[in-house]
Amino acid sequence: MNGAGPGRSTQAEPDLVFSCRDASVEFARRDGPRRVLDRISLELRRSEFLTVVGPSGTGKTTLLRLLGGLTPSTQGAVHVNGRPIDGPPAGVVIVFQDYSHALLQWRTVGRNVAFGLEGKLPRDAIDARVQDALRLVRLEAHKDDHPWQLSGGMQQRVQIARALALRPAVLLMDEPFGALDAMTKAALQDELLRLRDATGSSIVFVTHDIEEAVYLGDRVAVITGAPGRIGRTVAVDLPKPRDQIVTRELPRFLELRHLLHQAIGQSEHA
Amino acid sequence: MMQRLFIRLRTVVAALPRARGLLPLIVLLTAWQLLQSGPSPYFPAPSQWWTAAVALVDRQHLAAAFGATVLTFLEGLGLAIAIGTALGVLIGMSDRAARALQPLLEFMRAIPPPVTVPVAALLIGYNGSMKLTVVVLSALWPILLNASSAVRQIDPVLLDVARSFRLSAAERLTRVILPAIVPALLIGIRVAIPLAIVVTLLVEMLTSLPGIGAIMIMSQRNFQSGEVYALLVLVGLFGFVVNDLFALIEGVILRSRPPRG
Amino acid sequence: MPEIGRFLARVNWPGFATIVVGFLLWELLLRAGLAQYQNLPPPSAIADGLVEITRNGELVADALHTLRVVLIGWATAVVIGVAAGLILGVSATLRDYSLASIEVLRPMPGIAFAPVALLLFGFSLQMELMVVILPALWPVLVNTMGAVAGVHARLFDVGRTFRLSGAATLRKIMLPAALPGVLVGARLSMTLALVLAVVAEMVGNPAGLGYAVVREQQAMRPDLVFAYVVAIGAMGVALNAALTGAVARLFPAAAGRVREAA
Repeated sequence: MNGAGPGRSTQAEPDLVFSCRDASVEFARRDGPRRVLDRISLELRRSEFLTVVGPSGTGKTTLLRLLGGLTPSTQGAVHVNGRPIDGPPAGVVIVFQDYSHALLQWRTVGRNVAFGLEGKLPRDAIDARVQDALRLVRLEAHKDDHPWQLSGGMQQRVQIARALALRPAVLLMDEPFGALDAMTKAALQDELLRLRDATGSSIVFVTHDIEEAVYLGDRVAVITGAPGRIGRTVAVDLPKPRDQIVTRELPRFLELRHLLHQAIGQSEHA
Repeated sequence: MMQRLFIRLRTVVAALPRARGLLPLIVLLTAWQLLQSGPSPYFPAPSQWWTAAVALVDRQHLAAAFGATVLTFLEGLGLAIAIGTALGVLIGMSDRAARALQPLLEFMRAIPPPVTVPVAALLIGYNGSMKLTVVVLSALWPILLNASSAVRQIDPVLLDVARSFRLSAAERLTRVILPAIVPALLIGIRVAIPLAIVVTLLVEMLTSLPGIGAIMIMSQRNFQSGEVYALLVLVGLFGFVVNDLFALIEGVILRSRPPRG
Repeated sequence: MPEIGRFLARVNWPGFATIVVGFLLWELLLRAGLAQYQNLPPPSAIADGLVEITRNGELVADALHTLRVVLIGWATAVVIGVAAGLILGVSATLRDYSLASIEVLRPMPGIAFAPVALLLFGFSLQMELMVVILPALWPVLVNTMGAVAGVHARLFDVGRTFRLSGAATLRKIMLPAALPGVLVGARLSMTLALVLAVVAEMVGNPAGLGYAVVREQQAMRPDLVFAYVVAIGAMGVALNAALTGAVARLFPAAAGRVREAA
């Protein structure tokens, strides 16, 4: 199932959804400009799951905001479907870590999920999409509840449903499971993989958890240093579907984990 | 020691809203001054407020009246703090008394203080003690209620500590209970201050007992518009200064405490 | 039946009893002549007074006048306060250039405006409105400004990632998020408006409940003085209840959040 968003270009669709070439981001500070991201180059293919892993302070969130069009690049550009972006691009949605602030607590779950579609589709089409999205995250029963009545994991699923309702080409996720306990996290990881298979969206998933990065990703990009730079990018050749117990015990999993620890550790000590 | 004071003063000044925020006021006053050509019964220019104020001072009414108002305010507030704290602590220490008196006290707090002025005039008459009584009564309830509820909310662990150190009742009061309720008291006092100011002025306006309020009404009756505006500014400045002074004092008292909230 | 039992258990019986006993003591001491207070009427006299002024229509007339002042003044204060609060809340620059002025003007006691108002408008409704509106708009302005400026940055990120227009962001994100704060300011303003109206009537415009209290005091009718005081208190309670009820009806989601915040 093709999850391409509304921003279809007329030329033959390249397999490349996102590309970023030598993009840098600088912020103005009182004592001069501070470069937060330095010459980032990234590529994202259709239906690909790219995880970006790195320690805190490396600009992971800024990278996601750059790709999502919330932060402009000071140098270089981000391209979506071949065209440079100028603000939040169509077909790209960000899912934030702090779900309680990202959801509209005064709206019901159903109305939250409908949020991005209002004014863009007729009412019954919106209702259908909301039902589909809630079914995907298995929260139909809570359509009329308010987010503050739900647990953390459920609220995050609502946010994911809200993003999926748009049938986006790309989902950008900023440590979405960081605030959740280990068991909820594991359950949501599997649910996310299932969602990707069901919708065909590409996903850029930022995390500081190396094991999560390996478990989820088709490719893992390592970001280190301040300013943040992309170091190694590793292809994850683990079998699918992934399994929380089996996959994590595979020798290849451990190798990849070791590799990434090294990649991060080396840059830290360089 | 002087250096620490200076540093503290600097942080206080830094925390104040930027002075540029006074621009709207300055623009308003300047425009008023420029647009107003001659003396006006309704909208005299700010320069005329100043001349009127100087005239009032010269006639020696203003300084004495201001002093009377400030004195009443301070006396009333001081008494309210003393009585409110004492009664509040007493009531708070007895759970049963607190529960029994709570609705009555909340009811007293809900009575708008200005309304008590004619009642007091009825019962006590038009004199200085009536004035003081009303001011005290108006400022009393927020302080008393805050003291009482703060006492009831003292962490029981603190009281256990007092007991395990075998403190006498007096020591427990001065060394544990009173310090523990200081933040709540300060909040109550902050609420009580504007009430005390309003009631002081109200009494002076209604009864013409000496004070700024009395002069304000007299100026208004004599259609001395410059005086009326000048006194408005004076009262406003007084309110502003009292508030800032209190914030400063509060900051000093609470300086070594954990931040609120 | 068990609900009644639970309700009864929750009622503050000692508190209730204290008030009742207090009133009884008041009544009995005065009747028995044990306490002689020239101008202090027993509760029964106050009740009779209330009946008297209700019967001759004075209470209703005075109450309606004050109510009119309060409602018009409060509504005006809310409109101005919300508008100014919205603008200041949105623009950090404007805020920077106004906060100090607000801090200087806010502590001005409302009663100090009475002589100016008398000067400008004489004995009139406008005089009362001037005394009410100026101080009553501060709680609304400050609370609205704080609520708007305090809308979480994440909500604006959400608006942008879903590519909402500026107008849609205002309507769907900012206003609903700021609403509880605005309502708190409106409620504070209402209480203030009643007190200010009463003060304006005591010191200025001879009409309404405030003037009635002073009038009866000068006429040496202590029973009526207390009766009018009771009326003012009752109006305060009624206004508050009406506002809370209206908020709950019109903005059910926000009302819940205001209750949580309180």
